[in-house]
Amino acid sequence: MAQSTIGIATRSRTPTKLGIVTAISFLVMAILPFVVGSFQISLLSKLLLFGALAISLDLVWGFTGILSFAHGVFFTLGGYAMAYYLKLNLSAENNTYGGSLPDFMVWNGLTELPWFIAPLKYFPIAAIAMVLVPAAFAYLIGWFIFRSKVSGVYITIITLAISSALTTFFISQQAYTGGTNGITDVSKLSIFGINIPPNGLYWIILLFTTFVLVGSWWLTQSNFGLILRSIKENEKRISYLGYDVASFKIFIWTLSAGIAGIAGGLFVPLNRFISPVYLAVAFGTQVVIWVAIGGRGTLIGPLVAAILLGQIQNSAERVTQDWQLVVGVLLLIVVLFIPDGLVGTVQKLFVRKQKPVSTKQPAISSN
Amino acid sequence: MESILSVKNLQVVFSGFKALKGVDLEVGDREIVTIIGPNGAGKSTLLDAIVSKSPVAAGNVYFQGKDITNKNPYDIARMGIGRKFQNPNVYNELTVFENILLALKGTHGILNSITAKLTKTKKDKIIDVLDRIGLLGDAGTIVSSLSHGQKQWVEIGMVIAQDPSVVLLDEPTAGMTPEETHATGEIIKTLARDHTVVAIEHDMEFVKQIAERIIVLHQGAKLAEGSVEEIQSNPKVVEVYLGREKIDDAA
Repeated sequence: MAQSTIGIATRSRTPTKLGIVTAISFLVMAILPFVVGSFQISLLSKLLLFGALAISLDLVWGFTGILSFAHGVFFTLGGYAMAYYLKLNLSAENNTYGGSLPDFMVWNGLTELPWFIAPLKYFPIAAIAMVLVPAAFAYLIGWFIFRSKVSGVYITIITLAISSALTTFFISQQAYTGGTNGITDVSKLSIFGINIPPNGLYWIILLFTTFVLVGSWWLTQSNFGLILRSIKENEKRISYLGYDVASFKIFIWTLSAGIAGIAGGLFVPLNRFISPVYLAVAFGTQVVIWVAIGGRGTLIGPLVAAILLGQIQNSAERVTQDWQLVVGVLLLIVVLFIPDGLVGTVQKLFVRKQKPVSTKQPAISSN
Repeated sequence: MESILSVKNLQVVFSGFKALKGVDLEVGDREIVTIIGPNGAGKSTLLDAIVSKSPVAAGNVYFQGKDITNKNPYDIARMGIGRKFQNPNVYNELTVFENILLALKGTHGILNSITAKLTKTKKDKIIDVLDRIGLLGDAGTIVSSLSHGQKQWVEIGMVIAQDPSVVLLDEPTAGMTPEETHATGEIIKTLARDHTVVAIEHDMEFVKQIAERIIVLHQGAKLAEGSVEEIQSNPKVVEVYLGREKIDDAA
């Protein structure tokens, strides 16, 4: 009798209906390049990356309760790492000034490639930097804010400040970052001499986002996920059970920043430029909106929301320049009427009703 | 008797207000100590100071001879002091089973929590705890839908699963019916067979049921200490519980 009851209580890592739906969606999306045009593939590639970024925020906000506006920053740091790689690998004839020095450096009077940018010419180093720079930056911030027991809305304010400060910093360091314009006119993606065509990039991105989704799901089904959700509900209590809350927060925060960094890195060959626009609070807010509309703590929700809103934006832009009004109205509707988000609400409708509280006098065994 | 928990001249100050004015407490291994006292006497603060929930201004807390004053709460928990809070401090959004699973004794590191599997041993241990607190049938129930008394049991269950050497219980029977209170007393008695228990209580029937030794706190200081009979006949204690014939009505 006890065994069957326990069965309901534990979360399982075996594939569920959701897993089958994910697998089918993956297969359908994988054959899309043979069906739809290159514009749609390029748009989808971008939206899948935004989706992965939204999932990374869901891990810290939806599961752990840390609302961050700085995820655009981690995304962009990864983006710059990749942008330097692509810029430094422009063939001489494609470079405005023919030399090996990027155009914006020449304009700003640099005569030599700075030592901290030079190694990014090599793909393995750029690939590592794409993950490591945002992750290390996040670890540093995380160590200070979570160890010093800053919590709640104050963390959010700090993330806003980080986003603003870095935007200003990147704009001011024009010689190294390309200033407001960022790094533009980058080369097409080529790894170890092999050119990656747009469809190839799309498949890489599809794989990456699927991996992020499945990996995050696997992670959150474990005891670790249970601990994250406990931290969200009451972080004090769990420390009296022997858990070092700060180290769990720092871990998920750093991991999430690393994921955001890879998404940003893959975004650059697609977008063909990176600029401080993606560091700014406005972009960080977009990520928050995707998670809120999709449903916090659902993982698939933020991904769906990023893709759906991107498609809506794409259609609305053709009709009106005020497409953000549409997103704004959507957000209001979600916040006011469906606080669990799109997927969160659907999940609640389909989940079996909780069994009623037993009213019987509990039998206490005295030995 | 060798003390497992030893509190010496403990002082806690909240923005100028002295909540504890130098309290001494010795608790022997596997002893049941009950702390009573009027509201504001500093009972909860004493337990809070032991587990570093409230900062200690002066004095020391020793556990198994080691100084644990103002250490990290999670270190104190790992060393073997478990705490049940006054209002049930449980995870309302999780199931009863998951609440107990979180509390289960063992390594509490990050990598371990990612790779750990729900082994038969763990499952059996959780089933055993659920059985002891009478919630076996509610393993899969989300805690928010339980009654107040059942939530109290869930938290007692968490402490049992934690399996600490010393269990600190803050009003474990608050909001319970007399039957539930009695059942809780029985759980605590079985708990005390292999654990040291320090409990705060108001209900004198309950105190009589479980207590070996009683400590009376008043205005942040220890007023009296002794057996149930000694405390009940102590004129200073009767005085504190103003105008009352017996301290039976103290709650």
